[in-house]
Amino acid sequence: MSRKMLIDGEGGHPADEEQYDFDLFVIGAGSGGVRASRTSAGYGAKVAICELPFHPISSEVIGGVGGTCVIRGCVPKKILVYGASFRGEFEDAKNFGWELNDEVGFNWKKLLHNKTQEIVRLNGIYKRLLTNAGVTMLEGEGKVVDPHVVEVTQPDGSKKQYKARHILIATGSRAQRVNIPGKELAITSDEALSLEELPKHVVILGGGYIAVEFASIWRGMGATVDLFYRKELPLRGFDGEMRAVVARNLEGRGIRLHPGTNLSELTKTEEGIRVLTDKGDALTADVVLFATGRSPNTKRLNLEAVGVETDRAGAIKVDEYSRTNVPSIWAVGDVTNRMNLTPVALMEGTCFSKTVFGGQPTKPDYGHIPCAVFSIPPLSVVGLSEEEAVEQGKNDVLVFTSTFTPMKNTISGRQEKTIMKLVVDSETDKVLGASMCGPDAPEIMQGIAVALKCGATKAQLDSTVGIHPSAAEEFVTMRSLTRRVTAGGKPKTNL
Amino acid sequence: MATTLGGSPTRLSFSSSSVLHTLSHKIPFPVVLLQRPFSSPASSVSRAIRLPNSRLSGDPGLRRSFFVRSGLQSGPEETASQTYDFDLFTIGAGSGGVRASRFAANYGASVAVCELPFSTISSETAGGVGGTCVLRGCVPKKLLVYSSKYSHDFDESRGFGWNHEAEPKHDWSTLMANKNAELQRLTGIYKNILKNANVKLIEGRGKIVDPHTIDVDGKIYSARHILIAVGGRPFILDIPGKEYAIDSDIALDLPSKPEKIAIVGGGYIAVEFAGIFNGLKSDVHMFIRQQKVLRGFDEEVRDFVTEQMSLRGIEFHSEETPQAILKSVDGTLSLKTNKGTFDGFSHVMFATGRRPNTKNLGLEEVGVKLSKNGAIVVDEYSQTSVDSIWAIGDVTDRVNLTPVALMEGGAFAKTVFNSEPTKPDYRAVPSAVFSQPPMGQVGLTEEQATEEYGDIDVFTANFRPLKATLSGLPDRVFMKIIACANTNRVLGVHMCGDDAPEIVQGVAIAVKAGLTKADFDATIGIHPTAAEEFVTMRSPTRKIRKPSSPLDEDKTSSDVKSAAKV
Ligand SMILES: Cc1cc2nc3c(=O)[nH]c(=O)nc-3n(C[C@H](O)[C@H](O)[C@H](O)COP(=O)(O)OP(=O)(O)OC[C@H]3O[C@@H](n4cnc5c(N)ncnc54)[C@H](O)[C@@H]3O)c2cc1C
Ligand SMILES: Cc1cc2nc3c(=O)[nH]c(=O)nc-3n(C[C@H](O)[C@H](O)[C@H](O)COP(=O)(O)OP(=O)(O)OC[C@H]3O[C@@H](n4cnc5c(N)ncnc54)[C@H](O)[C@@H]3O)c2cc1C
Repeated sequence: MSRKMLIDGEGGHPADEEQYDFDLFVIGAGSGGVRASRTSAGYGAKVAICELPFHPISSEVIGGVGGTCVIRGCVPKKILVYGASFRGEFEDAKNFGWELNDEVGFNWKKLLHNKTQEIVRLNGIYKRLLTNAGVTMLEGEGKVVDPHVVEVTQPDGSKKQYKARHILIATGSRAQRVNIPGKELAITSDEALSLEELPKHVVILGGGYIAVEFASIWRGMGATVDLFYRKELPLRGFDGEMRAVVARNLEGRGIRLHPGTNLSELTKTEEGIRVLTDKGDALTADVVLFATGRSPNTKRLNLEAVGVETDRAGAIKVDEYSRTNVPSIWAVGDVTNRMNLTPVALMEGTCFSKTVFGGQPTKPDYGHIPCAVFSIPPLSVVGLSEEEAVEQGKNDVLVFTSTFTPMKNTISGRQEKTIMKLVVDSETDKVLGASMCGPDAPEIMQGIAVALKCGATKAQLDSTVGIHPSAAEEFVTMRSLTRRVTAGGKPKTNL
Repeated sequence: MATTLGGSPTRLSFSSSSVLHTLSHKIPFPVVLLQRPFSSPASSVSRAIRLPNSRLSGDPGLRRSFFVRSGLQSGPEETASQTYDFDLFTIGAGSGGVRASRFAANYGASVAVCELPFSTISSETAGGVGGTCVLRGCVPKKLLVYSSKYSHDFDESRGFGWNHEAEPKHDWSTLMANKNAELQRLTGIYKNILKNANVKLIEGRGKIVDPHTIDVDGKIYSARHILIAVGGRPFILDIPGKEYAIDSDIALDLPSKPEKIAIVGGGYIAVEFAGIFNGLKSDVHMFIRQQKVLRGFDEEVRDFVTEQMSLRGIEFHSEETPQAILKSVDGTLSLKTNKGTFDGFSHVMFATGRRPNTKNLGLEEVGVKLSKNGAIVVDEYSQTSVDSIWAIGDVTDRVNLTPVALMEGGAFAKTVFNSEPTKPDYRAVPSAVFSQPPMGQVGLTEEQATEEYGDIDVFTANFRPLKATLSGLPDRVFMKIIACANTNRVLGVHMCGDDAPEIVQGVAIAVKAGLTKADFDATIGIHPTAAEEFVTMRSPTRKIRKPSSPLDEDKTSSDVKSAAKV
């Protein structure tokens, strides 16, 4: 795409300007939308953003400034993970000399209250961020009426139309339920983050990171947890070896895993929800969570009418600059279903502003994006998994792994190992991927990600002096090769 | 080593990737370490890493032959003319000595190492395989840090809905027993490591008799090379009543927990023990001669950590010089300083520096040069003034950290037994202070960077972490990136807050590789973490530009221009 095409004001004659209420109208004030609005306003654009009224549990007409991440995703989830982690800490404390009752009291309502308070505070902060950036905030549901017009249905039902030179769709996604009898008895992650009562027995369906995280959360809070997923291991798409470690750790913490199993029916009974599996087993739970994927929020946006193309999953199709097939309409974040993470939505939002209002056409760079699964203990990765490296690489792949007992566990007695892995190109010595499962993995991986992003070699990792005693130092002291895998994909024999 | 050494004997082999790739940004690092917070305080504050010994520099051919001569591949005539019991005799089986011995044996050398009998408290006659780090330093200290941090976890947990009917109590003897069992296990593992590497372990005190002869408690051994890796020991101030004071050896193995403790000293060990005892609910008072703790660290971080420690209940007494310790009739101790007398301590701890273990080693007699504070003087290859005698680790008082002793040990073995002259590389050595909250840092402090580069951009973040918003505790996190204004290269990274040591390790790879601030910015964050802040610090907190000098006009005007551009 030529630079000229992208910069703002194609045909931006002064006369034109009168036509538009705004240079940019953003639908959806989540991670991507807020970032794009702020940075666009920073470039001098006149910006408006619309967002649904606030509530922790989302719907077609409920949302809130801050979006999924702040209200129903990363933040409240991490708060609950913190809360749940204490149980393990208390267990570990004993061998360090602390005398604790076997049953430490846990008040879910208090945690819920404090969490909600924090979410409300953050919601306020995000609103202020927008106001301070000079962005006009509108409450209501946005719809695209034509390539330059957005209609906002306000909470009172009244409608208003706004003309904008550019429209950015950043409406995110929502949890999806599987279609089985009794599905309405199940909850999604939205409700799971705001349950009135702490469940005693939970059934979770799904093998993705959200399923795994909630399993850890509820287990940490003392519930019995049954986790059902279709594959042999949870966390499809992650490094195979790491998936196995996560599964082992979940089991080690008392979560009951049911690989290769689906749910076939839910029924309400006196005791709770009766859950039938496709293997013919039955169990009763008081909460059933579907963590079975999310779908883009595109249904009510009127996109077909305007001609914005979506894919089969309902995600908006965009080019490398986040532009849809309608030149004045753009989309960022989960609604485009590229890589559904907050920092990615932020990156896309920033690149959009740079491209459209900063005179600097900028493509988001999807290389070496690190991410984390906040299971207990957590997993974090950057770059390629061993499988991806073998599949994509032209050269042989060197695999370095280290499995060790974290120092804390030598005293606590917890039977849980930390595992780290580096995948290296045998010819270039470039580190293609790093992964870790163990305490602090997400914090540790961030710095590793900086190095990998810039093409660090294994030799550069080796030449870095360790910080002792830390877990992270293992990443710079992995001296001996665990295995070499040929480009074809088979471990090399010694010939 | 993050770990129990348990199941990985495979790690004994050396790096598989021998080719050191050039870094993506070939800007030389400063070779001058302006201030070295991890060297003993008695040594000079600023000292450049010395230039290569004349014997080693110059004609590469000469240099090579030097190493060949001193290495394993000695000419047949030399081997014939003199035989030794060992190719290498190492004195001291601590971090450096074990590493050097193992690696040398791996290269084919016959190696012996001598070490004093095991004790948790070191002396002229007691030590133990594993050395300070394993028995009296990093490991037991970190175990105590873990233990003491739980009280903070308990406090935090309340905001997350947990309640403890009674305040959890700590049983010191359980901790000591479990810690000592772990130390016993580790010293056993280290012995096994030596055995598996075919290193002969001799128990006893080593002493040098002549350039190729060692005496261990009366038995005489000869060796082609001698490596001194005897480390250091706590230094106790010579004031009246010093016999009442404890040092870090004892503090790690006390029979009971201090009720009220005075910690004298402001270095990292003092700060770490203050955190430990404070976490275990002792009444902790720190007495520092200077105004601030942690001399040599970044000024802003020093202030920040002091404030955070105060908030957790540690009382600081600054600019107080201890003069005497008095014991009163009720058995409690008083500390008399230049400013007054402080009463009621159950313990007074001296964390007032360490001294190299070079006394009674026969060094002076054999002609090994020592510095004023007793450290062995070595060249860049760790060779002493006597050709066949080498020294690594704390005894040389370069950068007194375990990973540095390991690096020096590895470089020594490569140099002498693998014909690969290798200098330890002191650029961008990261380090941590396991204070509560902990610190991690790599590269230059703001003060050093200003002095060396003049024009720098400083990025800081000071925030309340997500956990604290729920716990309601006053915990904060401080982060700092220092970048060169002209090249954009990251010169230093500093952090104080939860997980700082773990977070800084990965960052250290990037700093060591010479990456720029733009490289940090191009990295995507991991959300939600504290570490993501390091890749999202967009605008500098301040820009420091050297004052314009009239003699330097060209440069000044371009500086002004570059500053104005941003
Ligand atoms: C349980 C859970 C945990 C997660 N944990 C992590 C994590 O740890 N790390 C991570 O990086 N990512 C995590 N994510 C993913 C992350 O939350 C998303 O990738 C991110 O929020 C996407 O940002 P966005 O701007 O695309 O969409 P959103 O943040 O979802 O924002 C979209 C906004 O648009 C509003 N909206 C929708 N339709 C309309 C309309 N018609 N009119 C007006 N407003 C509308 C919505 O109300 C919403 O506020 C998690 C997600 C979930 C569900
Ligand atoms: C309280 C404390 C905490 C520390 N924390 C950290 C930390 O967190 N991270 C870090 O990197 N570093 C830390 N250090 C520093 C680290 O322990 C040292 O830098 C490291 O151990 C130095 O290794 P070395 O091989 O030089 O000496 P040492 O490990 O001290 O080994 C020397 C060995 O030689 C033996 N020896 C001495 N004289 C003789 C003799 N004549 N004959 C035979 N044997 C002899 C001794 O018994 C000892 O075992 C800490 C130190 C202390 C005291």
